Amino acid sequence: MTRTNQRGHALLELAVSAAVMVSCLAGTVQFGYTFYVYNELVSAVGNGGRYAALRTYRAAAPRDIEKGKAAIRNMAVYGDARPGPNTPSQVVNLRPENVEVEWVVDESGKPAAVNVSIVNYTVDAVFGLFRFSGRPAVEYPFVGRFAPSESEP
Amino acid sequence: MSVAMLVMLAVMGMAFDFGRIYIARNEAQVFTDAAAMTAACKLDGTNAGLDRARQAVAKLPMRWNLGTKSFSGVVVEFSPDKQSWARVTAPDNQVETTFLRAVGAPDVFAVPAHSVAAAKPVRLIE
Repeated sequence: MTRTNQRGHALLELAVSAAVMVSCLAGTVQFGYTFYVYNELVSAVGNGGRYAALRTYRAAAPRDIEKGKAAIRNMAVYGDARPGPNTPSQVVNLRPENVEVEWVVDESGKPAAVNVSIVNYTVDAVFGLFRFSGRPAVEYPFVGRFAPSESEP
Repeated sequence: MSVAMLVMLAVMGMAFDFGRIYIARNEAQVFTDAAAMTAACKLDGTNAGLDRARQAVAKLPMRWNLGTKSFSGVVVEFSPDKQSWARVTAPDNQVETTFLRAVGAPDVFAVPAHSVAAAKPVRLIE
């Protein structure tokens, strides 16, 4: 076998193995990063849920309930119920509108539990996009103070 | 070549399998945190209260393994006076490895979690 022939073999081997290795690397980066972000989202809904469970539920008007929900969304996203203009999001590209807060209320209007979940969130994992809607999600019981005639400050 | 393949499998395994394991761990912890609070707020010093607490925990919708599997074998324990605290343990979460088993790691990793909650929590937020 001549040296020129061997060089051709090596080039062919490289071409075949590089295709496999690059796709393995791409998959590793894509899934590894997506899992990392998903883990952060699990923490975010957990934090939002625990805050909602302990927070005072003020329900003088529908506007107050919405304000309360906004504070819970902010807690999930920024780790702060009243974030400043430059407070960074805890999770890449997560915005308050990606967090859904739903109260489970009984006949008297008193909340029994709260559901916090991620909706319409897309992870840009370099080699592909993953979209999460409806999960991760958490349900916490409401153990805060019920204030049906108070307004949000 | 085979050594390089093993190294690559190990690296992929660490990204993929450890990623899933950490997620399962976190999901289990978030579940037990909420479940302990759910159980604790049903306590009233009676056996009926303990039953209500167990039922409430069983009804929780949280799932693990990227939100696909229900929690099983959940253990709910209570303070001896049946009204102070509740402890929830999720012991049965076993994550099956995909790549790491090829390089000698166990086929499954157990990721248990447990939490305790007081029946009358001190509220530090308004």
